[in-house]
Amino acid sequence: MSIFEAISANLLSPAVLFFALGLIAALTKSDLKFPEPLYVALTIYLLVAIGFKGGVAIAEAGIAKVWLPALAAMVLGALIPLWTYPVLRFGGKFSAVDAAAIAAHYGSVSAVTFIAATNYLKAINQPYENYATAFLAVMESPAILVGVVLGKLGTRASAGPDFSSMKTAIHEALFGRSIFLLVGALLVGWLCGKPGMEKVESFFVTPFQGVLALFLLEMGMVAGRRLGDLKKVGPFLLAFGIVMPLIHGAIGVWLGKVAGLELGGATLMGVLAASASYIAAPAAIRMSLPDANPAFYLTSSLAVTFPFNIALGIPIYYEIALWFYH
Amino acid sequence: MKTHPMKLVTIVCEAYAQDAVTKLLHEVGAHGWTLFSVEGDGSQGKRPADIREFANIQIEAVVQPEVSERLLERLAKDFFPRYAMIAFESDVRVLRREKF
Repeated sequence: MSIFEAISANLLSPAVLFFALGLIAALTKSDLKFPEPLYVALTIYLLVAIGFKGGVAIAEAGIAKVWLPALAAMVLGALIPLWTYPVLRFGGKFSAVDAAAIAAHYGSVSAVTFIAATNYLKAINQPYENYATAFLAVMESPAILVGVVLGKLGTRASAGPDFSSMKTAIHEALFGRSIFLLVGALLVGWLCGKPGMEKVESFFVTPFQGVLALFLLEMGMVAGRRLGDLKKVGPFLLAFGIVMPLIHGAIGVWLGKVAGLELGGATLMGVLAASASYIAAPAAIRMSLPDANPAFYLTSSLAVTFPFNIALGIPIYYEIALWFYH
Repeated sequence: MKTHPMKLVTIVCEAYAQDAVTKLLHEVGAHGWTLFSVEGDGSQGKRPADIREFANIQIEAVVQPEVSERLLERLAKDFFPRYAMIAFESDVRVLRREKF
């Protein structure tokens, strides 16, 4: 499959088309709006479904197979901020706290990008390790913690109140609702195994594609409403939001191969490395590094990197994986 | 019926500031607060409160005048530079002064 076929196969999937529809709704100022509780419900459904499925896959494969690539994913997540920080600080001339905040977002991961990638692999009949969800679960927090530490080291402790404590960051990174649900559902799936899956399959697996399409319609609107902020981020961050994921994607695929994953799993590892968080990381960073400017980290991860990955990134990382494996 | 003068402090801010603000309220001696989700337009641009993470909240607390002063001082010094936020006080009269 050529890169163009890979990309067009992705662009014509319901998930991506609905995402585009959401973007159009926001750009044309349509009065279409999801009620907030629906957004929350869709998030809960997706995280529980993907976590549960991954847990069952761990039970099937055995933890012996999972721990090494999961550890590799975790270490990669923690390391990414260490090189993105100097790039932003000295290449992009960002303040220490802004550079640290952006670095945390790019080290952390986007669950929806991951889910879209598994969707894509399914659509092109590329098998993948279902337990890759475990990598998603362990990659979300480390980068946030590293980013917060970098931000603290880079700035003088302000005389302000204690809302910039490390404790807030740790609590948010480990017990924020997205990571809590994902890890929790993973453990539940792991404990239930296959018999548990049979009981909930008709609810968590069959309607999954439809729910994802609906959720991406909403995410398209959320991203679209922030496209106006692109003016504020500047050309450096725009380029950063596209080039960095490509580099991280290649590193992730390579690391997945070294850790013993098959082609599908390595692609997913690449997608995770390339994705940037826009839910868990902003919440943790806003509370623990309030001096960092959200217009930078939120706009670049949500309005640049996320749409790029959904539309073009995923098939590109797959092509990179094909190249590594042949 | 005997009523007592108090200050109603209203804070409109991004949802991320919630924990820090409620902690501060407690610190300066407020005995309670009420919170609701809001959306609107301001000096930092329209705030699309489309998903919970990016929502705006309004926090209201009825407090004694000296508490209000301390609260607004702290908000101006520590919060205004960091968070998208406005705050103001207004005069109210309450029953049961001891509740506040």
